[in-house]
Amino acid sequence: MLNIEGLDELSQMNNVQQLIYYVQQNGPYLWDQFVRHFLISIYGVLFAALVAIPLGFYIARHSKLADWVVGAANVIQTIPSLAMLSILMLGFGIGVNTVIITVFLYSLLPIVKNTYAGVKSVDNALMDAAKGMGMTRWQQTYKVELPMALSVIMAGLRNALVVAIGVTAIGTFIGAGGLGDIIQRGVNASQGGAIILAGAIPTALMAAVADLVLAWLERKLNPASRVSR
Amino acid sequence: MTFKKKMKLAALSSAAVMMTACSLPGLGAGLTEEGNITIATQSSTEMVILGYIVQGMVNHYSDINADVIQNLGSSTMVTQALAQGDADVAAASYTGTALTGELGMDPITDPDEAREAVTEGFREQYNMRYFPSYGFENTYAFLVTSELAEEHGLETISDLEPIAGDLTAGVDNSWMEREGDGYRAFLETYEFDFDTVYPMEIGLVYDAVQSGNMDIVLGYSTDGRIASYDLVFLEDDLNFFPPYDASPSALYDTLEEYPLIEDILLKLEGMIETEQMQEMNFIADEYLIEPATVAVEFLEANNYFEDSEPYLEPAGGE
Repeated sequence: MLNIEGLDELSQMNNVQQLIYYVQQNGPYLWDQFVRHFLISIYGVLFAALVAIPLGFYIARHSKLADWVVGAANVIQTIPSLAMLSILMLGFGIGVNTVIITVFLYSLLPIVKNTYAGVKSVDNALMDAAKGMGMTRWQQTYKVELPMALSVIMAGLRNALVVAIGVTAIGTFIGAGGLGDIIQRGVNASQGGAIILAGAIPTALMAAVADLVLAWLERKLNPASRVSR
Repeated sequence: MTFKKKMKLAALSSAAVMMTACSLPGLGAGLTEEGNITIATQSSTEMVILGYIVQGMVNHYSDINADVIQNLGSSTMVTQALAQGDADVAAASYTGTALTGELGMDPITDPDEAREAVTEGFREQYNMRYFPSYGFENTYAFLVTSELAEEHGLETISDLEPIAGDLTAGVDNSWMEREGDGYRAFLETYEFDFDTVYPMEIGLVYDAVQSGNMDIVLGYSTDGRIASYDLVFLEDDLNFFPPYDASPSALYDTLEEYPLIEDILLKLEGMIETEQMQEMNFIADEYLIEPATVAVEFLEANNYFEDSEPYLEPAGGE
């Protein structure tokens, strides 16, 4: 009845062959879920960056607040991700946006903490020189603090993104889609070993590649390496 | 300072709430957005396939954008998602499960009465319309090889009576202990017993009967292996098992907003036979084809049921 080409008996294949066969048969679907997974993670981290980087600068200037903000972010971080998803589901319902909010919350701590540390580590002498040159407050931030702290901030983003990719995989349980869907289907299917691999390997690969790319960017942005060039 | 912080928190949380109502590029439309419906399903292969069948039909006949949310944990979770307004259509409910699960009623073995009770219950408790069945049932089924069926002229479970004393049976572990439609109740209704009854893992029964280790087994009626192993499904002539026919359901509010959805779901009435569902399950599970692909192939093979009532014009841009 159904006209699907290239169906092949699985019993003749080992796990790796099954995996290759699965990817051949379902490549476009796998790619769609891969992109979706990546976008969910990226959106969560980007929104977190929009909030956490300014917040990091702010608490670097108001040290009394720093402990409170970092403490609050720390508390968020200690909640297990499945519990966090379930709690947020009560408020925001099921669907992809709830997962993005979860990623957002988990990304706050690494970004705030690193921004704070990065800004704090800028040499006082540099800041004095900037003031001496007559820079405004905004210029000091934009032209001195931000470039000096950028590599440390990138390290925070990198941390956040790797965690985000892992959290997004769990998002399948509240209907977000992504590679978690494929893993979950493999768990349910009677011959699902290869399907689990087809979901898990790209997830791990995505985290590893994101980590490498951001590490490279971090090195590029490090003022020390720029000077030595 | 605390005031400032409070303001910030308020701004943050309100931004988060607003976020849930809108959508980001690349992720499909938001759940509650205009011109968009959400189809919810559980995680079994069969239900995911049905979810994508409904999506394919909606895409074919309307400009409404339909998203599928899969992998919800239980039928109760799907119903809750609809009740809360997170989803509009539940792709598959089984009458017997809905009756005892979401509605918390006692099992009813008469198919018409059961369907009526669920239809009524869904309307009153959840404001949902329970649609007519897709045409197949996923129930417990007694299965024998076609050779045995031919040899003894077996068609119904009652036909087993003269030979049952010589048969070994393999049944689902949990069925042995079930109340209502379990082994003990079976003995009372059909008034005969097998030679030996072996409780076993449900996934193994199909291979057990095909290989001849068992003469008869109790399995699920839409499992794809029934067709590929050429097993014969014995009819439950005394209506012992409660009906587990599969139906879509949808929120009345959604149907009011998009009357087309109602026609589309009615179009699917009786269109999927047990053998077809078996084949789809088999291809998805044994050949590792994604349910989404299987669903589209099924709809294309059947020309999106364009000839069935109610007649609808396919939307442009196909």
